[in-house]
Amino acid sequence: MITLKQIEKYYTLKGAKSYVLRHIDADIQKGEFVSIMGPSGAGKSTLLNIIGMLDEPTYGSYKFMDQELSSLSERKRIEIYRNHIGFVFQAYHLIDEMTVEENIEVPLHYKNISSSERKSRVADLLDRFQMVAKKDLFPHQLSGGQQQLVGIARALAPQPLLILADEPTGNLQSAQALQIMDLFRQLNKDEGITIVQVTHSEANAAYGNRILNLVDGVVTNNS
Amino acid sequence: MFRLNLKIALRNLWKNKGYTFINIAGLSVGMAGCILIYIFISYQLSFDQQYTNKDRIYRVVSYWKYSDGEEFQNGVPKPLAYAMRNDFSQLEEVAPLQRGGGVIQVMDEAGRVKMKTDETVFYTDLSFFKIFNYKWLAGTPEQSVTEPNTVAISRKTAIRYFGNWQQAIGKTIVFKQVNQLKVSGVFEDQPETSSNPVQIVLAYSGYKHRQLKEWGSVSSGSECYVLLKDGVKPADLSGTMQAFIKKYYSADSDVKESHFFQSLSDIHVDERYGNFAGKNTSMRDIYGLAAIGLLLLLTACINFINLATAQAIGRSKEVGIRKVIGGNRRELLTQFFTETITLSFFALLLACVITEAALPALSGLFEDQLSFSPVNQPALIGFMLLLVLFVGLLAGVYPAVVLSGFNPVLALKNKVNVGNSGGGSLRKVLVVVQFAITVVLIAGTLIILQQMKYMREKPLGFNSSAIAMAYLPNDSLSVSKFEIIKARVAALPGVSAVSLCSFGPSSSDNKTSNFSYNSSRDMDFMVNTKAGDEDYFKTFGLSVLAGRSLSKSDTLKELVINETLMRKLNIVKPEDAIGQHITLMGKKVPIVGVVKDFINKSLKEGISPIVLYNAKNSMSELAVKMDTRQISTLMLQIEAIWNSYYPNYVYSSSFLDDHIRAYYESEVIMGTLLKIFAGVIIFIAFMGLFGLISFVATQKTKELAIRKVLGATTVELVSMLNSSFIKLILLANLVAWPITYMLVSRWLSGYAYRIDLNIWPFMVAMIISLLITVLTVSLRTYQAAMANPVNALKNE
Repeated sequence: MITLKQIEKYYTLKGAKSYVLRHIDADIQKGEFVSIMGPSGAGKSTLLNIIGMLDEPTYGSYKFMDQELSSLSERKRIEIYRNHIGFVFQAYHLIDEMTVEENIEVPLHYKNISSSERKSRVADLLDRFQMVAKKDLFPHQLSGGQQQLVGIARALAPQPLLILADEPTGNLQSAQALQIMDLFRQLNKDEGITIVQVTHSEANAAYGNRILNLVDGVVTNNS
Repeated sequence: MFRLNLKIALRNLWKNKGYTFINIAGLSVGMAGCILIYIFISYQLSFDQQYTNKDRIYRVVSYWKYSDGEEFQNGVPKPLAYAMRNDFSQLEEVAPLQRGGGVIQVMDEAGRVKMKTDETVFYTDLSFFKIFNYKWLAGTPEQSVTEPNTVAISRKTAIRYFGNWQQAIGKTIVFKQVNQLKVSGVFEDQPETSSNPVQIVLAYSGYKHRQLKEWGSVSSGSECYVLLKDGVKPADLSGTMQAFIKKYYSADSDVKESHFFQSLSDIHVDERYGNFAGKNTSMRDIYGLAAIGLLLLLTACINFINLATAQAIGRSKEVGIRKVIGGNRRELLTQFFTETITLSFFALLLACVITEAALPALSGLFEDQLSFSPVNQPALIGFMLLLVLFVGLLAGVYPAVVLSGFNPVLALKNKVNVGNSGGGSLRKVLVVVQFAITVVLIAGTLIILQQMKYMREKPLGFNSSAIAMAYLPNDSLSVSKFEIIKARVAALPGVSAVSLCSFGPSSSDNKTSNFSYNSSRDMDFMVNTKAGDEDYFKTFGLSVLAGRSLSKSDTLKELVINETLMRKLNIVKPEDAIGQHITLMGKKVPIVGVVKDFINKSLKEGISPIVLYNAKNSMSELAVKMDTRQISTLMLQIEAIWNSYYPNYVYSSSFLDDHIRAYYESEVIMGTLLKIFAGVIIFIAFMGLFGLISFVATQKTKELAIRKVLGATTVELVSMLNSSFIKLILLANLVAWPITYMLVSRWLSGYAYRIDLNIWPFMVAMIISLLITVLTVSLRTYQAAMANPVNALKNE
């Protein structure tokens, strides 16, 4: 599904190159649950952003579903987000001015899905995450774990093939974190959604079936 | 999507109540100004537009070129209309429209006079009603204007005379004591927006005047309207017109006359020619107002742009999220425009309320019937919707483009620096533009007020206070009663002087005449003639430079000239003028005195060359100088005396002061408007600055806290924040001064008597703008600077 070849990312500062990522080669198959681990500043988030097309590599080739992405226009890339990728963030990043229900619905608007279809999908997700009673609340009225559930529900709404999660439990207490990780495993096993997560925690990484260890921009261990 | 966008827009507006309030307050005031100006301008442009043939109707006007100037006139020589009807094959219809007037008596059943009024009447013929489609309630133009003893009246006049218009047909009224006229037609009232306030129409065939065949004399009471044949342009007529002028005017005169076809829509907006309604709004004023409207809107939009870009940082996270979950730029733009347009829509609602409240004052200022009823004025609704779209898009485009252009990764990390992405410097430019506009308006208003004060206080060269001017009929019977009336009025206690005259020293009615001096050939300029009796100088306080004032006389036998005429005749010393002869109105008479120059028209124009003479049958007014404390009782007594001698005429009088004040009506209106709009723009700019400084203060909370910890005092912090804004305001002043100078110099050049421009209005404008800035900035930043630094720093 994802093929990274010789991905490099560096910034040029006063003529000197400062590398964030070096010679990254990775393959992620459909249905995998991959955890990217490494110390702070290792380039984990940058790698995830490149996979998620929020950032561009300075050099190298990235194929998503056999399409070379570096040659795609912004419009095409947005098409891909809309149809295949869902994002989950450490800080949840819900839109503060929208209710739970509306937050989940936004990506469906961008996919031009009909109103009745939108309503039924949002209702399904609310039901599944047991948030029906909270659908009219605003993000600041929810706990962190609940906000992250909404964030995941929003990521799932367009029925993506791939979920990219950047420290999804980083701001949560351990009980809530467990719940979120269970949910990810379930999505991966039952629905076959490919998941790539960035994490600090060995325990969280263990939920996945493969770990990419990243130190100073280099993959040291790919098991 | 639109509904969701709208909902989010509303929530965002509610969340930032302060900014929303500032935006809506500024915008709605600006929009209300625009709507008021639109209503006013569309009213002015609606004059004479109610006729089916309006695009083919033209008025023939006159133009003279002299060696030292030119003159424009709405009137034409009386024989012109019928001559044109013969000579111009391209004209479908030609109609004379002659203004006249006199006392009309309406009789009751028993034949007694039940009503006596002084009326303006119009003489015309059938062609006029083929050109202008009046609606006839009863009778036809054929029945009403083809015979000399018939009359057609408007609905309003019919109701005034007979109670209702249905009863008017067949009734008789008496015009000028002797003419029995049968009412044979009633037509619908012409709207207020008509340059020809035709109420009473008489047949042109019944019009008698000694100059009916006279090409050399033009009165503003004789107009001529034509209807061009389909497809004919006024330019196509210039050849025929040249031949026409050659045919009827002598070629060896120093005066070059010509005639133009003036389109119907120009009659109201071209102030060089007058019109019968006496209403003119020059295109210059209309453009001036439109420009002010645009400036108002611009200032309000600048607030909007400034506040929206300032808020952009707060919105960056939302933009990032929307981009990541699949929103593209176009959708984000749509969302931001939804917000700005929603806000402008609310501003419009408030603007409607302000408009409704302010309209009576505006109507009063212009003495026009303006109305604000969008339901009946589809064009107004269209204008308001355009206004919302225009403001929404103009104010929204920059913030929307900046916001939607954020890099999503940076936006999510709140690392977007609006200052670096151009917003900061743009804001500075906008603040400079906004304050430059404000300074131009403040300085301009101050200068215009100075000029008005100057005109009010400028010595006129005669005394105009507490002088009543009463109309005098001048048929031979009435003239014989002049002396006795004068004597009786002069005997009233409280009256200090009485004079019979044709016009006061300053008058909008002026009579000019050819004359010759030391030669048989006419001079190449005309002289303004004023008749006054032996008490004229005393009544108006005119001073004699040489010789003496006028003596008692019944006919023209001597002249007093003014200094201007003396100079134009190349006489150096006033004494040298005495005893010279001038031929005027066919009589050669000596100059017996030179009068010190007095302002005889408005101060926009220079002093005319004037001759004063004494001749009884030229008199048409009785000037009474009285004690100010007794004006009200004296006016009643004068009216009673007048009525006892002229029972068949209608008394009317006015004060010379009011008359002079009326010259400057348009200046007073412009001055008032400028004061109001300058105030509004200052208000808007103040709101905008307040919003902006609030934002800057919030953004700099941390910086202020650190500086405070390092030992800065509150005063130092406030002045630090002030200094950057003060620089901008000073720059705005530098930009504004030359612009103001250019604009007011052009405006002042329209006045023969004007103030000298000095630096003060500019300094005052600068001080006002600086004061507003310092006050606003200090007020808002003091709060931020006083805050406990610990609170600001512990959030890190």
